[in-house]
This record gives sequence, structure tokens and C-alpha cells, in this order.
Amino acid sequence: MKGILLSGGTGSRLRPITHTGPKQLIPIANKPVLQYVVEDFKEAGITEIGVVLGNKGREAVQKFLGDGSRFGVDITYIVQGNPLGIAHAVGCARDFVDGDDFVVYLGDNLLKQTISPLVESFEEGDYAGGIALQQVPNPERFGVAELDDSGNVERIVEKPDDPESDVVLIGVYVFSPRAFEAIEAIEPSWRGELEITDVFQWLIDDGQRIDSHTVRGWWKDTGKPEDIVEANHLVLEALDATVDGTVADGAETMGRIDLHETATIESGAVVRGPVSIDAGTVIESDAYIGPYTSIGPDSTIRNTHIENSVLVGESTITSNGKIIDSLIGRGAELRSAEDALPEGRRLVVGENSNLRL
Amino acid sequence: MRIITLTCPTCGTVVAANVLEEERITKCPGLGCDEVLAFEQLPETEREYFLEHRQRYQM
Repeated sequence: MKGILLSGGTGSRLRPITHTGPKQLIPIANKPVLQYVVEDFKEAGITEIGVVLGNKGREAVQKFLGDGSRFGVDITYIVQGNPLGIAHAVGCARDFVDGDDFVVYLGDNLLKQTISPLVESFEEGDYAGGIALQQVPNPERFGVAELDDSGNVERIVEKPDDPESDVVLIGVYVFSPRAFEAIEAIEPSWRGELEITDVFQWLIDDGQRIDSHTVRGWWKDTGKPEDIVEANHLVLEALDATVDGTVADGAETMGRIDLHETATIESGAVVRGPVSIDAGTVIESDAYIGPYTSIGPDSTIRNTHIENSVLVGESTITSNGKIIDSLIGRGAELRSAEDALPEGRRLVVGENSNLRL
Repeated sequence: MRIITLTCPTCGTVVAANVLEEERITKCPGLGCDEVLAFEQLPETEREYFLEHRQRYQM
């Protein structure tokens, strides 16, 4: 069994964060989304991974993952170039797959549960494919799967107006090499992309069996800023925290705090977990770091209240205000304008930014 | 849809035809690989097919 990790896409819904880097490297609890996927592959026993790269952020992903040895896996890169759809990305991996079964994992998806049960279920039967499903309250926004009594997939309908089921496809699929016949046979959709749902439907129409596995824990597609904040919340909820850094006398800490060995919480600061604080970051006096906050490396926080937020890193926040439910990109500086005249906020805001002041 | 790729003989990195056609001659994007890859290295039938259907491989 091999793995295909899709790491293309433009990340347009995550601008301006993605103006300077791929969405798959945005940290959740101070770890890039992509790393969770690689670790999930490894936990399922899949160590030969093909990473599909688009036109954007290619070098950053390669720099982070390297040859995979840092994560105990072996990585081969597959350059898709133009974003011609998930099925096209998979088709580009045909030589890499070389006749094996394989798992396709979207690089911006996060699962609480490991993919192992999906892989095991697929391997137990003679299936051409397998899909991970989850029940959602709004199936009309997703690809909806209709199943028979045995859990085999009978039909997949993309964003139906009137869904017949509330189980939808999430970003993990298993395939036998028969998938490549389907990819050769299907045509691009109205949006010019080869759709993965069309691959499954072709296989079903060809008489092949498609397995399904319902994911019990949470699943997040981290495609939008609010998804990043929510995913951070979910990951921190189960955080395995250790305080390796320095907590000064006079600092007040409570709950699970994952503090890097080179991070510091100074006297007068209040930190209430679950919180993750990365290398070189200093939480100075009069700062309050509330639950479900991740602060990236080399940041300084002073005289500020931050809660339920993600700071990517290398930031200085001394704004004398409350910051909640926020995603703050690398190198951001937020200072107070309280003593400045004339009164007013002073902003340097990048394209596609979203501020509520 | 026919998907055309070239696999680097040195490091195994796979490159789609749309990337090769755009760059014509390019250094292999594999990590630390010095191989030079070119659209012309694709089999003639694959090149012809790609160029005949070029717009399908653009966004």
C-alpha cells in the first residue's frame, strides 16, 4: 500500500496567509497540517508516499518534508503543475504507484481518527476503491454517498439540492490500480477539472465494489481561516502537553500548556490551557493567553489578551486589547495606538485581509 | 482523460506534461537532483497528443 498526499491548490480562501506560503504548511497547534497527514500515513503502516505538488508553494513543501526521513517515511515528489483536479493529481502518480493499492489524502484535511480502519476495511474485501465518510448536518455542500445495506457505495452525488443521505465524502480515499482505468476514461467536469467523484462513479458503473468507512471522530477541512482556528481548538483539546520551557515565579498558569524548552512565561503573565507555545516565544508581563491558543516560534506577547487564536510565529503583539478567534500570519506586528495622535488605528493590511475592528 | 508524465531516471520525481511543455527544458524538481528534463524526452505520440489537446491541460 502506498500513499499519495495532495499538496497543491491555490489556498485562495486563506489569503492573505497563503500569499507567502502553501496552506498545507499553516500550523495547527504549532505543527503544519501536512505533518499530521504524514504521521497518519505512517501510523497506518504506509511509508512510501508520493507528494503531489502544484504550481504554488512547491519549494516550501519540499523544504519542509525533505526526503521524508525526518518523519520515518520515503517521499517521492510528483509535480502536477496546473490544478486540473484531484483525479488528475492522482493520475500523475501512476508511475509512482506502480501497480499497488494506494491511499489518497488531501493535504489540508485533518482527522482525529487514524486512517488505519479505512485501510483495513478496504484490504478485507475485493474492492476497487474505498471512501471515508462522515455524517454532517449540511450534506448539500459536499459529495454525498448513497450506500447499500452492506455499506457498499451505490452512487455519489456532488452537492445535491435534495440529498438522500447525510453521509459525505471527506478527503481520504483508497484505490486499487483499477482507478487509473477510470481516470483515463472520464472527462473534465464543467469547471475543467477531473473530479474524484467521477472516478468512483465510473468504477461503480463498471460493476466494481466501493467500500465505505464512516469516520467517528472529528474531521476538518482547513480551507478557511475559521477552519484553522477550529482545527486548532480540536487538536489542542487532546493536547499531550509538557512544560519544557521556563515559567517564572509570579506567572500564573493553569490547564495543559505545551511550552517549548526555549519558550518563557514571565512573571505577571497569565496562561490558561490548553495552549501551545513554540520555540523562542516570550509571554511577557500583563499578557493573558487563554484556552485554545497556539503561538508560533520567536514571538513576543505583552500587555495583550489572546484567546482561541492561531499565531503562525515571529510576531510581536503588544496591542493592549483583546484578540479572539483570530489567525495571525508570520511576522505580524500589532501595537497599541492608544498614545498616538491623532487618534485612530494605523493599519498596513495585505491584500484579501479580513479585519473586524 | 489521458495523463502524460515523465519520470526522472535519476531520482524518480514525476513531472506532468503541462509543466514540461511550459518550461521546455528544466532542472528536475526533485530534491538535490541535477538531471535535466525536457518536453522532448516524452515519446513522440505523447507529445503530439498533448499539443493537439493542449487547452485541456491548461486552466
